[in-house]
Amino acid sequence: MPIVVNLDLMLVKRDMKSKELAQIIGITTANLSILKSGKAKAVRFSTLEAICEALDCQPADILEYVED
Amino acid sequence: MKDNTKLLTIITYAILLGAVSVLLNDMREFDFNQFEKFQNWAKTADKSEHWFTSKNAIEWSYYAISAAIFFWRGYLIYGFSYFLSILKEVENGNYFSDKNIKYFKRIGSIFINYTISILVLRFLLTAIDGSTFKFIRELKGEFTFLIPAGLAFYILAKIFEKGKAVEEENDLTI
Repeated sequence: MPIVVNLDLMLVKRDMKSKELAQIIGITTANLSILKSGKAKAVRFSTLEAICEALDCQPADILEYVED
Repeated sequence: MKDNTKLLTIITYAILLGAVSVLLNDMREFDFNQFEKFQNWAKTADKSEHWFTSKNAIEWSYYAISAAIFFWRGYLIYGFSYFLSILKEVENGNYFSDKNIKYFKRIGSIFINYTISILVLRFLLTAIDGSTFKFIRELKGEFTFLIPAGLAFYILAKIFEKGKAVEEENDLTI
């Protein structure tokens, strides 16, 4: 898929663990893992908003369009 | 929802038992001794006579086809039993499961196979006893009910296939 999720990168930058982020935004670690691995089919605006708020970043810092 | 499923399961069981008891009663009333007569005839038949046109062969064919109709009625009841499997899946919360899609397709094919087979068998019966075969009169019930029901189950299977795809997509929406 041409949309790449750079959540791992942001977590390293913010020195935060996946489990911690999952707890803050209120999703399971399994779902966060699906999101990180790029297996997710869609991301809700509410989830994106919570991630941006927790990591203090913009949506573009997490999602990137890369041509195939 | 769970209570409704239980009620539907009970109703389905009652319908199944009713259908089985009606079939068994019809089979009891049917004179299966004719087959014994046929066996005796087969032993003592005149070998020079052409078997296909002999009276006994025609009579036996009539009874064999009647017995085949019983078999197909049993097959239709077997199709009804899939309703219980679907209800069990629903009770377990697996609405758009592969199993349900498979069951819907099977019920659809059983309904359509039954109708086509009964059409052929009834046509043969009328050909044997020399009466005229009236398509509409013979299969009015089957064609107005079972064929549309069979098609409806195929359509349901397609809807459930789509539902399964949407459910999977929904599960992967974070």
